[in-house]
Amino acid sequence: MAAAAGAAPARASFALRQAQVPVGKISNVRSVSLPIGGRSFPSLKARRFQVSCAAKPATVDKVCQIVRKQLALPDDATVTGDSKFANLGADSLDTVEIVMGLEEEFGISVEEESAQSITTVQEAADMIEKLIEKK
Amino acid sequence: MALKLNPHVAAAAASPSRKLASFAMPPVANVGLRSPRFFMASTLRSDSREVENSKKPFMPPREVHVQVTHSLPPQKIEIFKSMEDWADKNILVHLKPVEKCWQAQDFLPDPASDGFEEQVRELRERAKEIPDDYFVVLVGDMVTEEALPTYQTMLNTLDGVRDETGASLTPWAIWTRAWTAEENRHGDLLNKYLYLSGRVDMRQIEKTIQYLIGSGMDPRTENNPYLGFIYTSFQERATFISHGNTARLAKEHGDVKLAQICGTIASDEKRHETAYTKIVEKLFDIDPNGTVSAFADMMRKKISMPAHLMFDGRDDNLFEHFSAVAQRLGVYTAKDYADILEFLVGRWKVEELTGLSAEGRKAQEYVCTLPPRIRRLEERAQGRAKEGSIVPFSWIFDRKLKL
Repeated sequence: MAAAAGAAPARASFALRQAQVPVGKISNVRSVSLPIGGRSFPSLKARRFQVSCAAKPATVDKVCQIVRKQLALPDDATVTGDSKFANLGADSLDTVEIVMGLEEEFGISVEEESAQSITTVQEAADMIEKLIEKK
Repeated sequence: MALKLNPHVAAAAASPSRKLASFAMPPVANVGLRSPRFFMASTLRSDSREVENSKKPFMPPREVHVQVTHSLPPQKIEIFKSMEDWADKNILVHLKPVEKCWQAQDFLPDPASDGFEEQVRELRERAKEIPDDYFVVLVGDMVTEEALPTYQTMLNTLDGVRDETGASLTPWAIWTRAWTAEENRHGDLLNKYLYLSGRVDMRQIEKTIQYLIGSGMDPRTENNPYLGFIYTSFQERATFISHGNTARLAKEHGDVKLAQICGTIASDEKRHETAYTKIVEKLFDIDPNGTVSAFADMMRKKISMPAHLMFDGRDDNLFEHFSAVAQRLGVYTAKDYADILEFLVGRWKVEELTGLSAEGRKAQEYVCTLPPRIRRLEERAQGRAKEGSIVPFSWIFDRKLKL
């Protein structure tokens, strides 16, 4: 069963989003100093480490909901920010439909290139907020 | 299930970014997941621009998926042996005796007649009235037909039904050879027509054919006749639709003889479609779970077009470009892909299957709900489709067409 597109890896502007710094862990951290591009960032919110491009929890939750619906996941399946679509069982068609669902839900329009770079819930949520901001 | 990693493919698989796989849908340049042509073939290139170090100039594309072999469990190969009597009585009847068959000469100027030159002149006069974009699509179809050696090969990769000696007398082998012989006339006829028309660059076309036969194709049927016959069922219907459309368009452009050529080819394809769908129908009777799973598997992998690796020595995205024009002209479209799938679901009564295993039910659900998903995707994407770019086609002497 193929995910037809070899998705280009997400180009995160912050090292934060690379594998070494799992988002899941950071959400539990109250304050963290992380060297990013040579600078340290204190956490900005108590609940999660927030970098300017990280999405609100509400957005992430909405994305999770849409993903659950698209993939018809059982209630006990875990879907979080760092869940990868492919690991949840999404094929390439599912991914496109997820993005379409996000467009409908948030009233945004997603560019080809951006759509192809989304592989996780968090990436989708971040992109959505960026697009909403632009509007 | 033996996994044979083709060394070229392994190298390609390491490439960091790839375009979409080729599917039996006409593609458009710059296609991504979101465009109307999601299901349409974007040529999957192993030597895409991103793979800098290994790119050689003027290299035809290669398959990039891992090539899987022999996925049919050995005990199921028996099924095809036990079907031989049935095939003899029910499938070979769809072949036409050679004495009753049309030949290319029936549709072309007669070189042995005094009127030959006049007939050729008339053919060229009619061809002048037909636009370039039609010819590009006709050439693409002709190139596809001329790659026939690849398709006979593909049929002979299938376990349980292959022609073991080249002259085997099993009904399967008889079918394959006779099918090949019938198909052979299609390429011959289109080739001669295009040659006489004077509208196209025959040398570039011939080069394209040589590249394509050299490239082959892997339709991902894994030596598995379940997958193989589902694939051919889909393809025969696709070619029937495609040639039917070129026939209709030829008529619109005032060339009744060309319309007859395309229409005659289309009727062969229809007969072949009948035979292949009958085989799969029988498989659904014998092994509903296996067959419905095979159907879902082929649809998940997406049906790739036989000529998706086409190359003319100049255009790295030739298949994409050709398919875009075919889509624009309505010769073969994303909608056709969905229609064919829906037709097959109905033809094989997939919705009515009962007593399936859990896996079978999942496959059934997938296949039955797929056509509307494809249509929805296509509708939405059509609404956002950008203006097509303009590209040259070497087949028409580098004249340019809108995609």
